[in-house]
Amino acid sequence: MSTLTADPPTTSHAATPPAAAQVHSTFAGILRGEWIKLLSLRSTWWTLTSTATVITLVSLAAAASLNAMADDPALAPGIEQMHGAEVISSGFHFGMLTIAVLGALLITGEYATGLIRSTFAAVPTRIPVLAAKALTLVVLTAAVTLVSVTLSYFLTMPQLSQYDLVPALDDPGTWRVFGGTLYSLISAALFSLGVGTLLRSTAASLTAALTVLLLLPGILSFIRLDWVETIVSYLPLPASSALLTTGAVETQGAYLSTHASLIVMAAYAVVPIAAAAVTLHRRDA
Amino acid sequence: MIEARELTKRYGDTTAVHSLSFTIAPGTVTGFLGPNGAGKSTTMRMIMGLDRPTSGTVTVNGKPYRQHRAPLREVGALLEASAVHPGRSARSHLRSMAATHNIKASRVSEVIEMTGLAGVATKRVGGFSLGMGQRLGIAAALLGDPRTLILDEPVNGLDPEGVQWVRQLVRALAAEGRTVFLSSHLMSEMSQTADHLLVIGRGRIIAAGPVQQVIDSVAGGAVRVRTPRAGELAAALAADGVTVTSPEAGTLEVSGTTADHVGEVAFSHGMLLHELSPHRASLEEAYMSLTRDAVEYRAHTTTTARSRTEKANNR
Repeated sequence: MSTLTADPPTTSHAATPPAAAQVHSTFAGILRGEWIKLLSLRSTWWTLTSTATVITLVSLAAAASLNAMADDPALAPGIEQMHGAEVISSGFHFGMLTIAVLGALLITGEYATGLIRSTFAAVPTRIPVLAAKALTLVVLTAAVTLVSVTLSYFLTMPQLSQYDLVPALDDPGTWRVFGGTLYSLISAALFSLGVGTLLRSTAASLTAALTVLLLLPGILSFIRLDWVETIVSYLPLPASSALLTTGAVETQGAYLSTHASLIVMAAYAVVPIAAAAVTLHRRDA
Repeated sequence: MIEARELTKRYGDTTAVHSLSFTIAPGTVTGFLGPNGAGKSTTMRMIMGLDRPTSGTVTVNGKPYRQHRAPLREVGALLEASAVHPGRSARSHLRSMAATHNIKASRVSEVIEMTGLAGVATKRVGGFSLGMGQRLGIAAALLGDPRTLILDEPVNGLDPEGVQWVRQLVRALAAEGRTVFLSSHLMSEMSQTADHLLVIGRGRIIAAGPVQQVIDSVAGGAVRVRTPRAGELAAALAADGVTVTSPEAGTLEVSGTTADHVGEVAFSHGMLLHELSPHRASLEEAYMSLTRDAVEYRAHTTTTARSRTEKANNR
């Protein structure tokens, strides 16, 4: 046994050991690590591509349906009330679906595969991992929203121009809608990441996140109780609707004000992540 | 250097690890043995800061793992099962880990070369064989050039050449003064690789110390004698603490004494011996004897009901 050490086999592992001074864990490094992880998975590219595709296709369909509206005398006057930016952002709901999937998979994928043990072995304090994931997710969501809105803007232009609805870029209303779309999508992505970190399982996280984000308002809309309607107005989809209009037309009673919307949507992003950060430190990986 | 003090982990009513205290010294290879469910992986996870001890402490190189500023430089770990996303390539996996510690890309290439993964580094890990996965795990463990290595079943699934490579690598790492702590169920491999042993069963330490000492503590070994006058020799050897059995006519297995003594007794009685061979217990025999009462999941018809209830209780 120990006699083997008399002639130790040469190993190349210490050929160029990383210089001790340079090798330590930094947040920038952790961020780069998360970035590499995210971009090296096919599922990331799938969800991003489908997000952009779906948002663009829905906006095209919405623009095409203007023809049908114009032919219907009952609906035709409504066109004048519309803002082109709202047509372009109409694919927002579907974008929420795929971006929420991306947000949840970012962490549940690690628990499902066991990768989380490698991740936490490298960063045993854990919280920086969550922060880095949140940051990469925000950047990626912003990028894909930008691409989707730009694509939608140009592709719907021929159709919108027929109705004089091409949103003017010097119109604050245009930027309000686009900004609201971005804000709400980022909120949905972070909400999903927070839920994923708390629940760990992909199936459970997606069910929970998508139910709250997309399904509940529709399901509860059949219940005409005041308190239920109040709850519904605070759910992400209704709460974000004030952010997806130009604000030119006063929103109906059930909806929140712009300020309330901003705060509620921020809470959806922050609360689950904060709760996840607290539990992440305590739970066994 | 790994130091555990009264390390305990409970899951509900089940105590997976019960008050373990041990020190794994640098410059040695320490083997971690125990039956399935003995608490080996739980102990390793607690060392790595992945699981929180219910009570007690464990430090690596002087500090709890979570307090190290460059944990990958302190400890490289290969943990049970895969800890890799199957959709990512081996190189991407290693690059993402290296990035967290600002480890250069050249080091990633280096560990890929070293572990023999160069040909498949850009392939998705999902398509890897068990052995390839092990090599990737070892590459990840070596990435930060750590002072301490924790390897859970490193040779699992490796081909004979790979097993030999791991043995030499581990010996070389210890020779450089590093701490190597590894678990394995392959006793012959362990006896060739380890200097020290830590044997646990049902979450408690059963034996610890240098390999030969652990083996000797259990089975003092037996002496095999072949002689035409077996019956007379057996009678002559009869004494306190000496057990003589006869597996076949003309052959004796004597335990509780030395070959020298058996030879002297035979000589003084003028008996002819055809064979006198001391038989040293193997690590496997010693291990079996040590863990006989601590085996949690035994494949045996009469104990099926018992092990089933225990399995249900275990986590």
